[in-house]
Amino acid sequence: MSESMLSHRIYYVWKRNLVSYRRFAIPSFIASLGEPILYLIAMGIGMGSYMGLVDGMPYLNFLAPGLLVSTSMFSATYECTFGAFVRMKIEKVYNALIVTPLTVEEVVAGEILWGMTRSMLSGFIMLGVLLAFGIPNWKSFLLMPLLWVAVGFFFSSLAIIVTSFAPHFDFFTYYLELYIMPMFFFSGIFFPLDRMPAAVKVISHFMPLTYAVRVSRSFIYGNADWSVLLNLAALIIAGLFIFYWAMHRMKKRLIK
Amino acid sequence: MMNDGILIDIESLVKKYGNLTAVDGISFAVRKGECMGILGPNGAGKTTTVKIIQCISPSDGGTVSVFGLPAGLSQRAVKAQLGVVPQENDLDPDLTIRENMELFGALFDMPKKTVRERVNANLKFVELYERANDKIVSLSGGMKRRLLVARALLNEPKVMILDEPTTGLDPQARHMIWQRLRSLKSKGVTMVLNTQYMEEAEQLCDRLLIMHKGRILKEGAPDELIKNEVGEEVVEIRNHEVKGILEKLGGLEFMHEEVGDTLYLYCRESRDILTRLAGFGSLSVLRRPATLEDVFLRLTGRGLNE
Ligand SMILES: Nc1ncnc2c1ncn2[C@@H]1O[C@H](COP(=O)(O)OP(=O)(O)O)[C@@H](O)[C@H]1O
Ligand SMILES: [Mg+2]
Repeated sequence: MSESMLSHRIYYVWKRNLVSYRRFAIPSFIASLGEPILYLIAMGIGMGSYMGLVDGMPYLNFLAPGLLVSTSMFSATYECTFGAFVRMKIEKVYNALIVTPLTVEEVVAGEILWGMTRSMLSGFIMLGVLLAFGIPNWKSFLLMPLLWVAVGFFFSSLAIIVTSFAPHFDFFTYYLELYIMPMFFFSGIFFPLDRMPAAVKVISHFMPLTYAVRVSRSFIYGNADWSVLLNLAALIIAGLFIFYWAMHRMKKRLIK
Repeated sequence: MMNDGILIDIESLVKKYGNLTAVDGISFAVRKGECMGILGPNGAGKTTTVKIIQCISPSDGGTVSVFGLPAGLSQRAVKAQLGVVPQENDLDPDLTIRENMELFGALFDMPKKTVRERVNANLKFVELYERANDKIVSLSGGMKRRLLVARALLNEPKVMILDEPTTGLDPQARHMIWQRLRSLKSKGVTMVLNTQYMEEAEQLCDRLLIMHKGRILKEGAPDELIKNEVGEEVVEIRNHEVKGILEKLGGLEFMHEEVGDTLYLYCRESRDILTRLAGFGSLSVLRRPATLEDVFLRLTGRGLNE
């Protein structure tokens, strides 16, 4: 793939999504936040009151860093599965764009950039919510965006690949229930992985969210070391591969 | 690089989808200032052909050169100078009419001010300026097609490609589009027009390709095609014994074709034929000028061939 396939035109795709989003901003905002806040309240406050300390901290505090990345994962995922599918298949936005000087690669990159934007937005809102519980410190506001970029990039790209295969909406249910939800539960958000059976530990290594949760914990609680950078780098490098595959897949889907 | 004002030059173009050959070795050229029509039924390969010109679909053989450049997926320079009205409406339903136009203009890297001016001018041209802040869903089918025409004009294209611009529209809406397109023609805009409608082809096209099953059957100006292929007049005779009629008409100059219950006679002048038929008792005879439809049906067969 030559470099010239990507240019500043990515911005136009992103801009289109922004203009369209402004109209539905409030309902879609609430929708994307509802789930993590529900978990925060139900698990953190509800269960937390029975649980005592987990890893040396109240359960709510243990939960918070994980929810900060899962909310960002969910936003990117919804945006680049359901959202992208509507634009591609129903609204024919991609068809309209590729007739102009834009390439399929730029359309894909613009969609992913938008997915990352959404994922960043929900991250910040979640951070704001957690602020009410006194959890994050000022450093989190500087470090977390770095992580959201990586998480948004990876999961938006992966979602575009899924979309490129999707014949209809139902297809996304498989992706969500067979991949995203299990990852949500077994990536160390809800319980420390080191106390899990060996099988779960092994599986968790194949779940990109695990790395993100680990990075998030150390960002929030300030115990970052080199291994954290390694986790972050792994996520970004994996993201790059997925991104290239996403462009390739979408080209196959759109160009006949 | 461009010679004799040829803007699009296609040589032995082939396109396959799996086992299906959608375009089967066609050649033609489009010259500056002309309206070139591609007339053919559903599935003839019209859309496939123009998609290759638009650089959004790769070919499987032959050469396609647009503005002197080889067509290909990464050919931004070609895409930048084409204006496309697609067969399938792809206006953005999340955006207003103005937003649709402005975002589309930006895609061509035009300065904001230029975009704004051209958006206004083109919305006025298609008589949608008053609706600029409305949503796409509030537009009728004809208005959507007009908006697509306005959108295609934003980059002041060297060639406009119109893929069935009036299919599915009611007569008023269709005539409104034709008016706009004739007005563009008179300004010297070069067009490639895909259509299934004979009338549309006759109204708008300087030159026509009759396309069927991926091949070009005939090429020429509409009136020339009619004169050469079927003559000037057609006599239709219904429900009668064909052999007897043909014997009666022996010695006269005409071509004939029998389809179902109808005998078609194609000729330069029908007076002699009608005189002879007058002595034939009660015949159901219809005499009319030859049209493009006769050419088309003669070339592709009057029976169903799907
Ligand atoms: N993406 C595609 N995949 C497979 N077959 C296709 C595709 N697009 C068009 N075809 C087939 O190619 C032939 C020509 O189609 P098309 O160019 O759309 O014809 P027209 O525009 O003249 O109606 C048809 O038989 C059609 O079914
Ligand atoms: Mg078509």
